[in-house]
Amino acid sequence: MTNIKNPYLPDIATVTRIIDETPTIKSYQVIFNDQETMKNFSFQPGQVGQLSVFGVGEATFVINSPPTRMEYLQFSVMKVGEVTKAIHELSVGDQIGVRAPLGNWFPYEEMKGKKILFIGGGIGLAPLRTLILYMLDNRPDYGDITIIYGARTPIDLCYKDDLKEWESHSDVELILTVDTEFPGWDKRVGFVPTVLNEVAPSPENTIAITCGPPIMIKYVLQGLARLNFKDDRIITTLEKRMKCGIGLCGRCNIGSMYVCKDGPVFSLAQLREYPSEI
Amino acid sequence: MGSEKLKEIVSKVLPEVDVVIGYRQGFDQLHAIPHFITTPEHIDQLIWNPLCVHNLATYLPSLNKKAAVVVKGCDSKAIVQYMQEELINRENVVIIGIPCTGVIDVNKVLHAINYRPVKEVTFENGSILIRTSEGQKKLLLSDLYPDKCKTCQYPTPLVYDHLVGEPVKTDKPPESVDEEVREFEKKSIAERLAYWEKEFDRCIRCYACRNACPMCICRDKCIVESRDPHLMSQKLTPGEKLMFHMIHSLHLTGRCIECGECDRACPMGIPVSKLKKMINLGMKNRYGYIPGINPEDKSPLLVFSLKGENTEEQKP
Amino acid sequence: MATTAYLPKEKMKDWLKVLSEKHQLFVPCLEDDVVLFQLFNPEKNLCFDRPANSSPKTIIFSQCEQLFSFNFKKEPDNPQKTSIELKENLEYPPTIIFGARPCDAKGFMIIDSVYIETDIADPYYRGRREKTTIITLSCPVPYVGCFCTSVGGGPADKAGSDILMTELEKGYFLEASTEKGEALLREPLFEDGSSYIDEAENIRKACYTMVEKPFSDDEPGKKPLPRFHEDTFWEQEGNRCISCGACTYLCPTCYCFNITDEQTANTGERIRTWDACMFHHFTLEASGHNPRPAKYGRLKNRVGHKFLYYPEKYNGVIACSGCGRCIRYCPVSISISNVVASLKDNMRESVDDKH
Repeated sequence: MTNIKNPYLPDIATVTRIIDETPTIKSYQVIFNDQETMKNFSFQPGQVGQLSVFGVGEATFVINSPPTRMEYLQFSVMKVGEVTKAIHELSVGDQIGVRAPLGNWFPYEEMKGKKILFIGGGIGLAPLRTLILYMLDNRPDYGDITIIYGARTPIDLCYKDDLKEWESHSDVELILTVDTEFPGWDKRVGFVPTVLNEVAPSPENTIAITCGPPIMIKYVLQGLARLNFKDDRIITTLEKRMKCGIGLCGRCNIGSMYVCKDGPVFSLAQLREYPSEI
Repeated sequence: MGSEKLKEIVSKVLPEVDVVIGYRQGFDQLHAIPHFITTPEHIDQLIWNPLCVHNLATYLPSLNKKAAVVVKGCDSKAIVQYMQEELINRENVVIIGIPCTGVIDVNKVLHAINYRPVKEVTFENGSILIRTSEGQKKLLLSDLYPDKCKTCQYPTPLVYDHLVGEPVKTDKPPESVDEEVREFEKKSIAERLAYWEKEFDRCIRCYACRNACPMCICRDKCIVESRDPHLMSQKLTPGEKLMFHMIHSLHLTGRCIECGECDRACPMGIPVSKLKKMINLGMKNRYGYIPGINPEDKSPLLVFSLKGENTEEQKP
Repeated sequence: MATTAYLPKEKMKDWLKVLSEKHQLFVPCLEDDVVLFQLFNPEKNLCFDRPANSSPKTIIFSQCEQLFSFNFKKEPDNPQKTSIELKENLEYPPTIIFGARPCDAKGFMIIDSVYIETDIADPYYRGRREKTTIITLSCPVPYVGCFCTSVGGGPADKAGSDILMTELEKGYFLEASTEKGEALLREPLFEDGSSYIDEAENIRKACYTMVEKPFSDDEPGKKPLPRFHEDTFWEQEGNRCISCGACTYLCPTCYCFNITDEQTANTGERIRTWDACMFHHFTLEASGHNPRPAKYGRLKNRVGHKFLYYPEKYNGVIACSGCGRCIRYCPVSISISNVVASLKDNMRESVDDKH
């Protein structure tokens, strides 16, 4: 009847490495069991996947390794609900279901030749990571890269190895902040939107990309507007409760758009046209 | 039917509260709907007649506002039960009681008029007249009572701050309350199981019974939807459906005030209240307790006693 | 030219018996006071007096569908390791939905746009849909809450039906509009239908004018809803909603679902079950954040989806067939047709005020 794959059927993959990012966040590197699937797999920076622990359920995570590094797919998982709890119990060698890639991606082609401002909070750095690494792997295509990244405490900062590396790049400006004073922390202190305000990056030839908790996104968007960033130069990637991942089950909609299929990447200009249900 | 007196009281009460919950006409004259009054202009639409079926007290526990509420005798039992369980702050509630002589089971009317769209409804000495495209139909109110009215013991609200009209006394014998259940209990276990399997087979798990129930106060946090812990499957098997209704009923043990909202809300015509009435009869037989009567009471299952002296057997 | 036929009333059961031989046949039956689609059985109490309480949606878009089963297996050479095997089953029996109403048939067309006519089709829905024939009964009269003619349908609308039946004085006039339908009319039971066309047409027309029009539009899904973004409107209207799922579960067009895993020891299954956008937990995220925490926001989304968002994507088609079930069976009598009428009309102070 059909030779198109059943969109609900996950591919089975094996966990090859687990990285403890923070006390509540772990990153999982996985490879598909079927070599053909692994070989033929392609995705774009910003696309997401559904991870399955069979018997518990599925949840959505961004693929935070870049398409330029295809030895494995990496997902970062914060322990908050039942599926994420089950993922945190997995060990290297365990099997996991993967439905990917799903959704749209960052308009990285349109960003060529522009300065890029990344603003992330907590695990919200995950989707930005894939694009940052992609851009670093295609460095000549992009202008200056500024990354403002914050978490509650220094312990809650993700991808510490990446941060160290980015800090060493002369063409990347990395600005780290934590919410409150912390012993041994000599960098900035303050919420991400406040730091954005202090840094006050110029909107000129710049695209801003932000991801973080809903409340952070809200204030970052306001901050960017104050800095005269135009709505179509502000890009965010949204998280919602998702089930099907293919625009059918109904729960991740914002107006007529489904975050899982039409998103998760939106420009603020797009979001302005829809109800404020973020 | 007391609408004018009611409007007068609501006008007086409105300045003291954030909202008054009463009734108004809905999409046709056969359907009354809850009416949330926040400005004097809303008062004019207030109505009171036997089509005012909803238990408006149900809105109180999650309202977080100072509210006045219009209640019938049966509805007032929910407020009494809220007071027993400290689910409302009595000081934030103004109770406008209406002595009630019985409401209408709207489904019975729809049945009688073959579900035709209603053009006009009027009341006339103990009858309701309904005009549809098929002409006018006159139905006796006494033929349209839901089960709860046929055995009602408390037509006048048990608690109130204002009473619309004079109190009315029941003419129904107290033993009539349990008749339906006693009759049902005469059936064999196998017959009862067959009965429930057939009834619950229709259940679509829409949770209208639960959400219309004044005492189902977990609502948004109900364990039937919980995945963590994962206690119930989302499947539609007879077993899962029965399980949901058993959980619903058992959580109402010694709490169900028999307002019949679950039956009324069910779009599939399942007599969901019967299970709860059976449990209530057990509570009455064992503990001599009837929920929703006295604000000072405590439901026996909400009171821990090592000796069990609150059971009928242990009472001196 | 469509194929027509005539079936005398006394032969109805014979036809149903014939149909049930090769199909899973669902017919509306009266049980207690409720009309339900059930598997045909000559003993059952057939009921064509009014539309079924719930739409026949579940026959194609099953309220509980197994997506696949899974099986954990220990690897023989390394018992520490478990592998997982997934199995899907997409075989469905030939099925007939008999005695649905035109609004029910249209409901499936509305779901088709999302579930079939898309880049990623839903294989379960499509599998059942392709195996199902829909035989509808035109409505001789409207019922409480009906408003099909305001949303692009009608009591004798053929859209979505393989055969449309119209009840005449002594029999049924049948009209096939698809090959599937025509095939079923090649039966010796039938008489020639051509002489009954006029009688049927008169009955259909009479009902058409009787259906209430709470709002009238020539292009219903293409006109704006001026008050849609007034949150105070929704707050007022959402107050009395009790957040149950009756409206969505009875609806022939609502298609939201949940996916959950059910596991016993070494095997389990992933199922999808209907879900309702009116439930608080529908959009509740694991973090506790909820983008639609309030009742009014959910009501706004449900109405918005049917009358604004869906039409925006699907060429102005409204995702509501006007069957009226959500109005008829809402525990607090929220009327979607009155809500929409108010959204179109700035002059109307409250939803249930009539001009």
